[in-house]
Amino acid sequence: MDNNALVLAVFLMGGTQYLLKMIPLVFLKKKVENKFLSSFLFYIPYAVLTSMTIPEIFNSTSHVISASVGALIAVILGLMNQGLIVVSLSATVAVFIVEKIMNIF
Amino acid sequence: MEANSLRLFKKGFSDGIPIGIGYVPLMVALGVMAVKIGLGFGISQLMYCLLYSGTGMAAVLNLVSSGEMMVFTYLLTFCIVNCRYVLLSISMSQKLDPKMSTFSRMIFAFFNTDEIFAVAMQQKGFLQTPYLFGISLFPFLASVVGMFLGLVFTNFLPASVSSAFGILLYAMLLALIVPPMRGSRAVSSVILLAAGISTLLECNPFIRRFLSSGWIMIACSVFTALLGAVFFPVDSSNKKEIVNEQ
Repeated sequence: MDNNALVLAVFLMGGTQYLLKMIPLVFLKKKVENKFLSSFLFYIPYAVLTSMTIPEIFNSTSHVISASVGALIAVILGLMNQGLIVVSLSATVAVFIVEKIMNIF
Repeated sequence: MEANSLRLFKKGFSDGIPIGIGYVPLMVALGVMAVKIGLGFGISQLMYCLLYSGTGMAAVLNLVSSGEMMVFTYLLTFCIVNCRYVLLSISMSQKLDPKMSTFSRMIFAFFNTDEIFAVAMQQKGFLQTPYLFGISLFPFLASVVGMFLGLVFTNFLPASVSSAFGILLYAMLLALIVPPMRGSRAVSSVILLAAGISTLLECNPFIRRFLSSGWIMIACSVFTALLGAVFFPVDSSNKKEIVNEQ
């Protein structure tokens, strides 16, 4: 594929993605009054972010064992109400250490 | 008013820093991949700035390296993967300051990402324009710089380090969804259910044969959020205990 076709494809992809993000933000200015609908929208972030994270997190490193340890650390620190940086960097360091140990054996 | 805007902007900017840090290793990896498949420096950065999406960029790079000519097939897959933005944006529209101008909304929409959304939704009250612009700034700059590093120094990160960094963004999402589970039966039920269903569907080879992970994610999210709305409806009277503001 030549560069022009590629840039065109990227333009189309970027454009559709932008519309998906932009249209609800720009056109939904009214508060949803319906109780069922607003409850649904209240739970959507939790539902989407969970489905994005699980089970994908277990394949996010080079081994499922290191990824599981990292995920466990993140959940424990999350339950302890630690901040974003602490949780994400601790999980990363945990994965690094576990993989180093696994390499010894 | 001026001082308040500045304060909100600064708060947003510092909330964006961990997100930006999370993007760097991912973008370094994408930069390295772009060099490997022979894409030029300028075109890689241009494509990324048009897309501003790590998954989108990875998809484009796969497209190029596989020599896929059917742009349409790719567009379709891309739309399915990104359908979640519609759900997230609808949810976020309820949280924006009603006075936020259309122009600001249009600009912010471009810079919004899953992680920015996740962090912004945890804030109390309406989201103000300066906060949203503040939180958008660092992640965008960090990912452009990250990709630059990957394009220039293809051996920037040793394999063991980049493997460990693979978990960073997922751990960050866990850090956002786990704390609200404490003390809220409704939120924990929705999260545990979503995790269970998502795992069952993703790990089922029969279902995977005709549903891509993008579809599974949408189906699973809509289904669990619907169940949440049926069993734990939220209104002003019980909002405090369900949201569990601490």
